[in-house]
Amino acid sequence: MNHPASCGPVEIFLVEDNPGDVRLTREALKEGKIYHNLWVAKDGEEALAMLHRKGEYSDIPVPDIILLDLNLPRVDGRDVLARIKEEEELKMIPVVVLTSSEAEQDVLKAYNLHANCFVTKPVDLEQFMMVVRAIESFWLTIVKMPTRI
Amino acid sequence: MLTKPDEPASRTSALPKSLSLGVLAVVFIAELLLMFLLPRLLPTADEVVVGIADSIVLTLVVSPFLCFFIYREASKRKSADEAMAERSRELARSNADLEQFAYAVSHDLREPLRMIRVFLELLGKRYEGKLDADADDFIAFAADGAARMQKQIADLLDYSRVGSSGIELSPLESGVALERALGDLRLALEESGAVVTHDLLPRVLADESQLVRLFQNLIGNAIKFRGNEPLTVHVGAAEREGVWVFSVRDNGIGIASEHFEKIFLLFKRIYSPSEYPGTGIGLAICKKIVEQHGGRIWVESEPGQGATFYFTLPVMGDSSS
Repeated sequence: MNHPASCGPVEIFLVEDNPGDVRLTREALKEGKIYHNLWVAKDGEEALAMLHRKGEYSDIPVPDIILLDLNLPRVDGRDVLARIKEEEELKMIPVVVLTSSEAEQDVLKAYNLHANCFVTKPVDLEQFMMVVRAIESFWLTIVKMPTRI
Repeated sequence: MLTKPDEPASRTSALPKSLSLGVLAVVFIAELLLMFLLPRLLPTADEVVVGIADSIVLTLVVSPFLCFFIYREASKRKSADEAMAERSRELARSNADLEQFAYAVSHDLREPLRMIRVFLELLGKRYEGKLDADADDFIAFAADGAARMQKQIADLLDYSRVGSSGIELSPLESGVALERALGDLRLALEESGAVVTHDLLPRVLADESQLVRLFQNLIGNAIKFRGNEPLTVHVGAAEREGVWVFSVRDNGIGIASEHFEKIFLLFKRIYSPSEYPGTGIGLAICKKIVEQHGGRIWVESEPGQGATFYFTLPVMGDSSS
């Protein structure tokens, strides 16, 4: 992935069914300094349709990073994760599992499915904002990703 | 022809007693009948024949009764045992239900509560000083309430998890568990300048992580409720009436006797959170841990005179170390 200055906005893909968390993430990203587009899927099915750019989603860009909740309606977040990591075109996109779960089996399962990292949603505002900014700064400015063709 | 005293529920001691009474009564009555009937039915027979016939008839008469009584007693006893087993299964099930309930409640309430807290905080952050002084207060109270509730729910979850996956009893040195607890409390111990001493502690049958937690909570409390003097804590153990009685004695602010029971209940506190922080979960967890080991926990204290918490653990075969 190349970075904002040269290539326009960073495409952030959020899979989250709770509108409150969508809004919070939006607010936190707004406070950050990175020029971005936020795409939101509110369940697993929609997430897969968007990632595969099916139908009405044919125009959306390939995301630079995916923020994925685990407990989702219709297609579960774990299944979405498994599908992403199975597919040649998608598997290199960093997936940050962002969930309210802190259960050991969820952590284990996520890493087994090749999640890039697992983050439990903090319970207070400051921490939440901090976490979103930290994800943003680490995955979008610190790490070096391969250049996309 | 004969009645057996009706007993409410069969107890083990009632079985032989009622059985022998019943059999004796049957034998007695049968013997009386035979004594009158046999010589008349068989007027020509001699005493030996009468004697043999007597015993045959007697056996025939008695056996069904004997079988009937044995069967009845056995089935009564069996149904009592079954009822007991059923009761204990029910108890285990209702306990498990309760655990499950506490877990579900605390787990599932966290999500909506997180939303409440986070957005109250966002409201406070964005609009503080822009509405009026009342609004600022109201938002602050609501956010504080949400934050405290969150802490309580986390504690409830913690409490419901203690031993929920079953405790693993193994022989271990309680002194090692104490050392581990002290290691976890190192920072708090250093900050408070506490001095912790202990007796030679026994080898016990316990769940290690739970025992560590028990010491940690009790010593943590001693640190929290210390007085003006430098804190000293002494951990002792003595064998009394077949159990190990552990004691954790401090020289802190102490507790009035009317609170001795209350302090072990979930979320019961003597002081307000502004005086001493915390939700009131620590000793409730201690109680749960001790009871899961089949022991009990209590406190002896006087205000201003320090407090001693006692708990018991079963003695192992060859336990002194």
